[in-house]
Amino acid sequence: MSDSVALYYHIPFCKRKCIYCAFYSVPWATEEVKDAYLFALLKQTASFPEPREITSVYFGGGTPNLFGPRRLDKLLSEISKRFHLTEDCEISMELNPGISCFEDLHAYHMAGVNRLSIGMQSSDDDTLTLLGRNHTFLDTVNCMNDARKEGYGNISLDLMFALPGMDCGKFEKTLSDALNLEPEHISAYSLQLEEGTPLLMAKHNYIFPDEDEEEREYQLLCSRTGGAGYRHYEISSFARNDHVSRHNMHYWQCRDYIGFGPAAHSYWNGKRFSNKADIKEYIKEPLISNDYDSAERLSEEEMIEEQIMLGLRTDEGVKASLLSKKKVSILMEKGYLFLNDNRVRITERGWRVSNSIIGFLLA
Amino acid sequence: MSQNHYDIRKIRNFSIIAHIDHGKSTLADRLLEKTGAVAAREVEEQMLDNMELERERGITIKARAVRFLYQAKDGDTYECNLIDTPGHVDFGYEVSRSLTACEGAVLIVDATQGVQAQTLGNAYMAVDNDLEILPVINKIDLPSADPDMAKREIEDIIGIPASDAPCISAKMGINIEEVLERIVRDIPSPKGDALAPLRALIFDSYYDSYKGVIVYIRIMDGTISVGDIVKMMHTGAEFEVVETGTLNAFSMEKREALYAGEVGYFTASIKNIGDTKVGDTVTLKDRPCAEPLPGFKKVQPMVFSGIYPADGSKYGDLKEALEKLQLNDASLTFEPETSVALGFGFRCGFLGLLHMEIIDERLEREFNLDLITTAPSVVYELVLTDGSVLHVDNPSNYPDPAKIKEAREPIVRATVITPTDYVGPVMQFCLDRRGVYIDMKYLDQTRAELKYDMPLNEIIYDFFDTLKSKTKGYASLDYEPIGYKKSDLVKLDILLNGEMIDALSFIVFADRAYPRARRIVEKLRDNIPRQLFELPVQAAIGGKVIARETVKAMRKDVLAKCYGGDITRKKKLLEKQKEGKKRMRSFGSVQVPSEAFMAVLKMDDDT
Repeated sequence: MSDSVALYYHIPFCKRKCIYCAFYSVPWATEEVKDAYLFALLKQTASFPEPREITSVYFGGGTPNLFGPRRLDKLLSEISKRFHLTEDCEISMELNPGISCFEDLHAYHMAGVNRLSIGMQSSDDDTLTLLGRNHTFLDTVNCMNDARKEGYGNISLDLMFALPGMDCGKFEKTLSDALNLEPEHISAYSLQLEEGTPLLMAKHNYIFPDEDEEEREYQLLCSRTGGAGYRHYEISSFARNDHVSRHNMHYWQCRDYIGFGPAAHSYWNGKRFSNKADIKEYIKEPLISNDYDSAERLSEEEMIEEQIMLGLRTDEGVKASLLSKKKVSILMEKGYLFLNDNRVRITERGWRVSNSIIGFLLA
Repeated sequence: MSQNHYDIRKIRNFSIIAHIDHGKSTLADRLLEKTGAVAAREVEEQMLDNMELERERGITIKARAVRFLYQAKDGDTYECNLIDTPGHVDFGYEVSRSLTACEGAVLIVDATQGVQAQTLGNAYMAVDNDLEILPVINKIDLPSADPDMAKREIEDIIGIPASDAPCISAKMGINIEEVLERIVRDIPSPKGDALAPLRALIFDSYYDSYKGVIVYIRIMDGTISVGDIVKMMHTGAEFEVVETGTLNAFSMEKREALYAGEVGYFTASIKNIGDTKVGDTVTLKDRPCAEPLPGFKKVQPMVFSGIYPADGSKYGDLKEALEKLQLNDASLTFEPETSVALGFGFRCGFLGLLHMEIIDERLEREFNLDLITTAPSVVYELVLTDGSVLHVDNPSNYPDPAKIKEAREPIVRATVITPTDYVGPVMQFCLDRRGVYIDMKYLDQTRAELKYDMPLNEIIYDFFDTLKSKTKGYASLDYEPIGYKKSDLVKLDILLNGEMIDALSFIVFADRAYPRARRIVEKLRDNIPRQLFELPVQAAIGGKVIARETVKAMRKDVLAKCYGGDITRKKKLLEKQKEGKKRMRSFGSVQVPSEAFMAVLKMDDDT
């Protein structure tokens, strides 16, 4: 496995939180706070001891485009000073279409960003309102057109399904609308009720689709994207012409990555660790807020378990020799796994119950 | 009378008998309080009921005895021994032995409820033991109290005079003194010869980790002294007496000797409670009495069930807990048992369903164990084709039907007292439970007594609770075993994914098999979480499937989002899955949580 490293920068600012979201973000993105935060990120970046080859940089959130082109540019130039970014390094950025404009897109492009991940979620404006999103489908369309005009050649659309009040018919509309925009990549997640979210607390006010409906929507997602020439290369990810998310593949392939910013996770030198989910503390002391020192190096067994757990998310699967033959054959018989080239993969149907499958294989 | 001055004429040994909740323990407390045996503030609710569980359930599980002195209006001081009796039908034998230790019994009847099934059962037992019965009407402070009705019922139904029965309120402390006066006036003093060879009745015992078994005895004849070599006439065990004494409310008071007519205890470094069986006769090795006291019975468990730890690794803890409980409860039996489905556990024998529930609850509460208890089974008697007779208390051991010439099940005579309004439903219910009508009597205009012979198996499945709910809580129940009867029995097996789950097998009356089978497969279907695989749940007799349900395969179990490289949640999920497996029972590729078994084994319905 190559020695390359991925970098993740967490931009934890949101104008307001969507009702289903459990990720770390803060609402008070004043210019001062953003500057202080930039300074802290720069500090953590500069302190990094071991410059290695970087194949992916990812700005996630939160809402990275709340950070603005000026700061992003500053950050990226520090990154390229500090690390060696490969020629074809993937530099991704998540984008909220509600606050995007052509000028910014141009500036990000100039700064080096070459992949966009646009949070479209749905093409149904009522659904977007219900989820607490601050944009419409038209915003996504405009954002997409601007990005194409600017010359971005690698764009992903984020979609959601199994949403309250939605059915296959409505989801099909979203899918068609998304496919009409011809993104290189689609990520689609079913709605999860997360601890501590307003949605969970108010769940009695919504009607959620049942397991069977959710499965139908997933099947629809798979068949429509497949029909349009997308490869279903990971549970929730679909790519055209090999535009897979290099950054995410980095995770699934158990390669090293470093997370910057509060609540960011890292895998480095066989250790998994994360920064504290506290932006104030991070701004104060960006170098000591992670638990690298206290983290324990993964054992050989854990590493293999992770390889299995993460590898089976993708269509690369895992080496058959890592798994129990008997268990594999039981699951193959039920249509949950298939074997190809001595690698075991989970079928599309199996991905829907992949926790249980992986649990069964590892037990 | 000074404490060491022995005068048999001034001794009164008595019990209090009552239907459950008629106020037995409360009256006991008042008597002790009134005579100064304990101060009022020392009465922590009902002190005779030591165990936490007893207090909660308001029932007395094991007999206790308390001695108190009462200075009567005639100027004499009397030594009174109150021997408490277990208040439930499961403990009938213990009750009868406690009564044998007495000359009289205070019969409490609730002035609002009148005579109830256990009032009758206990009163008859007292009459059978030639006890002087002293009726007392309790709860006269309640607005709905009808003391005259209660007295009339005692006379009409039990047939003992009750016109001058004291009317009291144990709760409010009304007329307690009158009860005491009547005890010394009406209950005869014991007969017995302190110089004759020792003849003492064991009516209870419990294990003390310092002294060994503490044996509660009533001296019928003779004397027991420290240093005596005593012999248990039925078990044959011999011991040297280390300590004797009387039983006070909160302590044991050492004495050099106990004499004929007295109630007290002795210790003799006895390690095994099985050596001191209730009902056995204690005599002296060198100067034995001619004959043991009559009425000794070896107590046989009537109800059996398998008890398993929900977490298989707790087997050792369960064993230790059962051993500890058995130290004080010789009627509890257990032996190791292995189940394919539940792993290692114990086959336990109980006197009855209540006894089983108590043990189960004490294991869970006092020993902090999480248990799976299999469906209770009675002991079936099977005559095999080769002529031999087999007793089966575990469905797993039920032989091939082809080898059974005749199957028999234990029958009890059940007495139900119910308001006349519910006679119809009760009769129908008894009939549904395969009851054979024996007799019906109208006790008065409002209540009837029904007698049915019915299989014990029907009683242990929730009979009492259903009876209660059918009669708005008014009916009362008593029963006694009367023998075995031929029956049409089948063994019903439950299969998951085609594999038999031994722990769920049970023996059932053939006509009942189908509805029971349906209920069980439905309950399993509802309680087994969806799995990766579709899971057939079947009930079968022999090889023939009579009911089937399917647990559908799960459709969704995925954590799709792995945000910003945060795989910790996914790992945690897997850890949780692994942890949860400890409470899972695996059958090939199928996982069943312990909870599903518990839900199914809790037969909380009619079928």
